[in-house]
Amino acid sequence: MTIERRTVVRAVLVFVVAALAVTLFSAMTAQGATVSDSAVSSDISMTTTTVDIDPPDDAASEPAPTSYSGSNRFLQSIVNGLVFGLLLALASVGLSLIYGTTGLSNFAHGEQVSFGAVLTYFFATQQPVSLPMIPVSFVIGMPLVPAALLAIAVAGALGWVQDRYLWSRLRKRRVGLVQQMIVSIGLSLAILNFIQWWVGGRRLRLTPDIDPRYQLGPVYLGEQTLISTGIAIACLLGVGFFLTQTRRGRATRAVSDNPSLAAASGIKVDSIVRLVWVMAASLAAVGGILLALYENGTAFDAGARLLLLMFAAVTLGGLGHPFGALVGSMVIGLVTEVSTVWLAPDLKYAVALGILILVLLVRPQGILGRAERVG
Amino acid sequence: MSSTDPFVKVTPEPGAPKPDPIVVAHGVKRQFGGLTAVDVAHFEVQRHAITALIGPNGAGKSTFFNLLTGFDSPQSGEWTFNGHSLAGVPSAKVARTGMVRTFQLTKALNRMTVIENMRLGATDQVGENFFAALVPGLWRQREADITAQAHELLERFKLYDKRNDFAGSLSGGQRKLLEMARALMSKPELIMLDEPMAGVNPVLTESLLDHIVELKAEGVTVLFVEHDMHMVRRISDWVVVMAQGKVIAEGPPTSVMANPAVQDAYLGAHHDTDLPEEL
Amino acid sequence: MDIFIDALGETFAPTTAAFALAAIGLNFHYGMTGLLNMGHAGFMLLGMYGFAISTQRGAPIWLALIVAMVVAVLFGLLLGWPTLKLRGDYLAIVTIAAAEMIRFLGRSQSLQGLTGASTGIRGNDYKYTFEALSPFPDERITVGWFTYHGTLSSSWWLRVVAWVMVLAFALLFWRLSKSPWGRVLKGIREDEDAVRSLGKNVYWYKMQALVLGGVIGALGGILWALGNAVQPDSMGRPTTFWIWTLLLLGGAATVFGPVLGSVLFWTSLVVVKRVAGVLVPDSWMTQSELEPFSLVLVGITLMCLVVFRPQGILGDRREQAINV
Repeated sequence: MTIERRTVVRAVLVFVVAALAVTLFSAMTAQGATVSDSAVSSDISMTTTTVDIDPPDDAASEPAPTSYSGSNRFLQSIVNGLVFGLLLALASVGLSLIYGTTGLSNFAHGEQVSFGAVLTYFFATQQPVSLPMIPVSFVIGMPLVPAALLAIAVAGALGWVQDRYLWSRLRKRRVGLVQQMIVSIGLSLAILNFIQWWVGGRRLRLTPDIDPRYQLGPVYLGEQTLISTGIAIACLLGVGFFLTQTRRGRATRAVSDNPSLAAASGIKVDSIVRLVWVMAASLAAVGGILLALYENGTAFDAGARLLLLMFAAVTLGGLGHPFGALVGSMVIGLVTEVSTVWLAPDLKYAVALGILILVLLVRPQGILGRAERVG
Repeated sequence: MSSTDPFVKVTPEPGAPKPDPIVVAHGVKRQFGGLTAVDVAHFEVQRHAITALIGPNGAGKSTFFNLLTGFDSPQSGEWTFNGHSLAGVPSAKVARTGMVRTFQLTKALNRMTVIENMRLGATDQVGENFFAALVPGLWRQREADITAQAHELLERFKLYDKRNDFAGSLSGGQRKLLEMARALMSKPELIMLDEPMAGVNPVLTESLLDHIVELKAEGVTVLFVEHDMHMVRRISDWVVVMAQGKVIAEGPPTSVMANPAVQDAYLGAHHDTDLPEEL
Repeated sequence: MDIFIDALGETFAPTTAAFALAAIGLNFHYGMTGLLNMGHAGFMLLGMYGFAISTQRGAPIWLALIVAMVVAVLFGLLLGWPTLKLRGDYLAIVTIAAAEMIRFLGRSQSLQGLTGASTGIRGNDYKYTFEALSPFPDERITVGWFTYHGTLSSSWWLRVVAWVMVLAFALLFWRLSKSPWGRVLKGIREDEDAVRSLGKNVYWYKMQALVLGGVIGALGGILWALGNAVQPDSMGRPTTFWIWTLLLLGGAATVFGPVLGSVLFWTSLVVVKRVAGVLVPDSWMTQSELEPFSLVLVGITLMCLVVFRPQGILGDRREQAINV
């Protein structure tokens, strides 16, 4: 676990340059301070007054229950960061598992997240919905919980179908990992636009209920947020239990460690990978649904916007490390939310990506990744 | 043994000093996590000789190669080539000083032709500079020289007819030959071959052995890793045996395998491997 | 007939040229060196910011171009520095992250005064230095079926300049790919350790390729901005993916692959949209749904290309048959 001095120096240098650049920028834009202040206040007014207006395509100005200013902004942002980190972990754990078992950086994972949320909307909303190319609209209007469960099942099935008819075939044809990655980019482009074609660019609310808010000590939490967090923790514990305590879970970790060795010792790698795909897709859907509840809505590109944060989390934690996604996600969640205390909220994703680049400088293998490979 | 044998006065023991060493390594240690892969106390390679590096699987031979050539860096240790320290020197620079290696898993550049592979091995091509590359007049002459040199080597390695084929279309053995020929393009002082004979068919092997002996006659020093004792005995002047990361024995090829430490190493490491048959 | 003329016009539109140029840059990265740059749109965006902002501040056109290129060089150096020593997919993740960072910064309210935040910079604020150089009359000119303005915005003047630049850089690619310099890069694409063992400074060569391709991408961005406007959200990830699609379509590592790919990509996008608009009744697919529909096809095309014809249209089948 030694870190070379050179890399530390390098990182510090980058950090100083970055800090200088930020200072320079804020100096150059003298009106910057007032502008960002007004941005914050408009953000607040948006959450308190209405959530029905279509907000601009802007990650930070989403009407998330986040922008409570006041003396406890810092504490509130830490709590928000932890919640967001947990949900992000849920969405990205599948990305990490797929990378670990197959080596694929799956750029279409974000679409799995949106797909789960949009499907839930499709099943649950009281608005008329339709399918692409079919000129009939209808109302399904299921209650939220069964709708969500059905959506998760369909998303999981999509994961199975993807591996059965696409990825396993590519592996069999010995298509290189880089090529597979580009295939996943194509798939992501196709699914993303398919979803947009299907539900349009509007913001979609899964439930019309008004979220009651509780005050816990100095911080505020919505009821949906509390429930989402509980579900997320339960799911993550489930994944942890699966990976450490069950035969198939241990086999999964063995495949992650060394696929050829695992195959040689009698593990059916293909069926493990199939299982991982189903798990990854369903977990992504769960993550998508919970995030949609947490952020009071979803959109066709919700997952696409999240994709980089997921990659950042997985890379930070250690590419392919089973628990790396969790650690990385918590870091990303905290960083994005806490940064809003000092920086304009529309910079929070930029901050997360900056942290990713910085960490790669010091520890390219991530926080939990092994420093070196034997052999 | 002839009287010109430089090894005549060398004691056959681990880390023995040589009369005219081209490579000297001291205290080179490489650990992966808790596992010590290489821990060489002292190691010297005699100039203008063919030295074989042998040992059971996992003895750390390839890792040691990587360390010497800058493809991996040890936790501690010092090593020199022609008296210049190479510790911390990047691999490309090591190669430019005249110490060129090949790889155990052949690294032919598959989607380039055989002749392009060869040309890449040459040094002093000014056209490899970005700005010079824009002015063909600056590098045409050198390119012609390089090509002539490449043709000569390809003839020698029986690859001339394949010169315009993609390297990826060659057989495994031919790729080994190509890699070795490519390494020779830079006219190295020391060539380090990592299992040069693995996967090469017997006919080619014979000519490959002749090439290696020829190299020595031309004044190139050879250090190679090999499993096949038959070949080690046929061409090498000196044998170094590694086991569990350490140099455990050295000596002339005729007698080194009789060393009890060597026999222990082979038997202890792999009960199921046959001892090299000519003990 | 209208569809045909529109499609034909698209073959030499400024956008087509801009993407062809950007794809030539990416061809230096991926086709020649094997670098997985997934943030090419970031280079384009930086190029147009550099050009537009310095012009706004009164810089003459040559200075604005230099500023844009210097910014791209710095960005390339900064990206390459930590990542070119790591495995390839790290470069992919870092480039895509960095490109998005540029976009997030550009559209941030805190930089309103510099970049115009999410509304961007209006064309009139920076196009005048380029338009002032136009030798064409200041009016609409009809040649054959096509009528465009002589000098303003998406003009004949821009078309001529854009395609001359595309040809010049295609020539540069040809020259370099046939040179010893290009040979080293191709060697790195195949196996960088092998090239290292032959005494070449792999890191430095990769850096050169990254920077060169990035600068070309920045120039492509400027061409795009001269035909449209500086708008950060038009340079998001989809743009990068389109460039990849059209590069692979035409054929990576070939001289005219990027050009052919860009022409085919934009032309077929217009054809698909127009044909679907005529054939598919509005009740099935409204006009606003045509855009995502055609992009679904782009995604599927990209997938099929990589799986079934990785060498693209112009690529050497023999070369790609070899499994790497």
